[in-house]
Amino acid sequence: MDRARYTDLFLTEGREHLVTCAHLLLELEQAPRDPEPVHGLFRAIHTLKGMAATMGYSQVTDLSHQMETVLDAVRQGKRRVNRPLVDVLLETVDALTAGIETAAQGQDAELDYRDILARLNTRPRARKPASDDAAAPNDKPAPAGLWVAVTIDPAAPMRGGRAMVLLREAEALGVVSGVHPSVSELERESFTGQFGFHLASDAAPAAIAARLRTVGDVLEVTCEPRPRGRVAPGTADRHAATPSSPTVRIDRRRLDALMNQVGELVVTKNRLASLAAAHGGELSAAVDRMARLVSEMQAEVTLARLTPVAEVFDRFPRMVRDLARVMRKEVSLNVEGRHIEVDRSILEQIGEPLLHLLRNAIDHGIESVDARVRAGKPRAGQLSLIAARERNSVTFEVRDDGAGIDRAAILEKARREGSVAESVTSLTDEQLLEVLGRPGFSTAERVTSVSGRGVGVDVVLTRIRALGGSVEIRSEVGHGTSVTLRLPLTVVLLRALLARVGEERYVIPVTHVAETVFLDSRSATTLNGRQALKLRDQAIPTVRLRELAGFPEEPTPARQPCVVFEVGTRRTALVVDALLGQEEIVVEPFEPPSGTPAVFSGATILSDGVPSLILDAAAVV
Amino acid sequence: MSHTILVCDDAIFMRTMIGDILTGAGYEVVGEAETGVQAVEQYSRLKPDLVTMDIVMPDMGGIDAVREIRRLDPEAKILMCSAMGQQALVVEAIQAGAKDFVVKPFQPSRVLEAVQRVLG
Repeated sequence: MDRARYTDLFLTEGREHLVTCAHLLLELEQAPRDPEPVHGLFRAIHTLKGMAATMGYSQVTDLSHQMETVLDAVRQGKRRVNRPLVDVLLETVDALTAGIETAAQGQDAELDYRDILARLNTRPRARKPASDDAAAPNDKPAPAGLWVAVTIDPAAPMRGGRAMVLLREAEALGVVSGVHPSVSELERESFTGQFGFHLASDAAPAAIAARLRTVGDVLEVTCEPRPRGRVAPGTADRHAATPSSPTVRIDRRRLDALMNQVGELVVTKNRLASLAAAHGGELSAAVDRMARLVSEMQAEVTLARLTPVAEVFDRFPRMVRDLARVMRKEVSLNVEGRHIEVDRSILEQIGEPLLHLLRNAIDHGIESVDARVRAGKPRAGQLSLIAARERNSVTFEVRDDGAGIDRAAILEKARREGSVAESVTSLTDEQLLEVLGRPGFSTAERVTSVSGRGVGVDVVLTRIRALGGSVEIRSEVGHGTSVTLRLPLTVVLLRALLARVGEERYVIPVTHVAETVFLDSRSATTLNGRQALKLRDQAIPTVRLRELAGFPEEPTPARQPCVVFEVGTRRTALVVDALLGQEEIVVEPFEPPSGTPAVFSGATILSDGVPSLILDAAAVV
Repeated sequence: MSHTILVCDDAIFMRTMIGDILTGAGYEVVGEAETGVQAVEQYSRLKPDLVTMDIVMPDMGGIDAVREIRRLDPEAKILMCSAMGQQALVVEAIQAGAKDFVVKPFQPSRVLEAVQRVLG
């Protein structure tokens, strides 16, 4: 067998199983007597073991096998679930997570698991299960996951809304996953009235069906047992509520490339629209129509890239748990809206800001257990992470019930720094955000130690604003703090070069960039009496960005960077003061201020929050 | 004791009609609000068992009012009243925490069914 061909698949699936494991371990810690997480863990590790054995990764196989043995003991009530056990199991999962990557590079034999294996196996010799009834799960098997199929009255108005009500109801009964058609399709009502989802719940199937039938306009609900995890090919259709599910798997990079091209298309469309506006008539009409098509295409590609926020959210419970332990706090994390789908570009950008906020809440917001008890609050700080959809935006809220921000201390500091007028006697929430978000302010040690929150607020603000979003903060002394990030549902992304002229930065989409070279005495030549660049014996006309952008002429340095554009067979070299690197940028709708040179076709906010113009290569060549 | 209900709608006509349907079925309408701000204010004062909420209202819309009320009381039971074609808004309201919805034009029986579902 040519194993190499399967390595990618092994890694992808192996990673998924291990993420599941980490998740289930946290569930197990929360509910040590619940048999379901143990069964899930056992299945996932067992599958991983089988896969690793097939690949011939003996170290990974061995460690998976030992973990499986421990889980089996737990399952049979021979081993008790407690914190040390969860800790060592989490460590094992970490070791396996790193291990499968090493093994996939052909270095399985170099993995040394002796240490973790020893700890996995140190345990009190199994007591008789009967004497340990605290941990012994019931003898009857755990409820398997269910596949719930729902039919909504096709004549009912707003079936999409109805489906949402039903999903909310189901979420109150257990964990919902694998909604089909997808939640966003349900929301847009692009379904016939039938849909299905996977539900992991302790309730009896009959009780679940009965409860879900009480939702309005529901004609039928059926619950069938279904094993957790993927359905074997060929059986999927039997269970799915809609008989055909025309889905294909596609490489993300393809979608990303498509998205980038759509981004270019949007920029080109803007340029074309401004040219056509001067001509009017049929040309304008055709351009208008094309513009609509481009927008629709953009929307379609975006939809194809929608990803549930669970992908980012699911790593937070573990982080929160670890952070809380390091900071000696008790924290209970409540996550809502895992199923909400957003553009993957946004998802990739949101993780870090959210982590900042969660860390701040644990570190500075939530009080020590003693302080909480004195204040009459529950011992564990309540921390919420909530995603929610609004019309064309998605919000992420991080909320704690901690001490709140000490505005007086912040105000005093801001006054001393001169960033707030002496006459100001109290800070509104908006002012608070502006003060905290000032770079450098938040990191000042004194304020953080007195007031709490602050580390990295400027980072959060900049990142979110660069994505076209906004940030809101609400804080009440003694009752906690809530920060809401509001982001557009989708963005158009473009890979681009950043060039500098004077103090100004310009964005150059990479599509038409053939190469970058230097213009100096050796490569300078003339073409039809004008300056040109000699490149591999060809003379290429040059254009100065300094001139295009309306900067005053300056003495020409001996050596200047050039961007060579190629559009069709025509080439032009754009001379700039400096090239600063590449960046993924978000294209903003562009209403050019009067007097803007026509070579600029759009605008963007750079990752450091400064606005910048997008250059249209086709207009230069 | 009968259940108490707060009716929120910017049209007197709609408030009256919903009120009549509810009182006719033995519920007690304890308050009426014509803006989102009023809805939130009255909710915190009256603590009704259920709120009927119009989506489009001046001075804080129904959806923001749902959010605000749920923030004050995560257990609040809110029934959205929506016009045809407001599906996206209904979905948003449900994600914001509304329990159920009815679609205008109202049939008394459907309104009462939904009220019973939410209170049940």
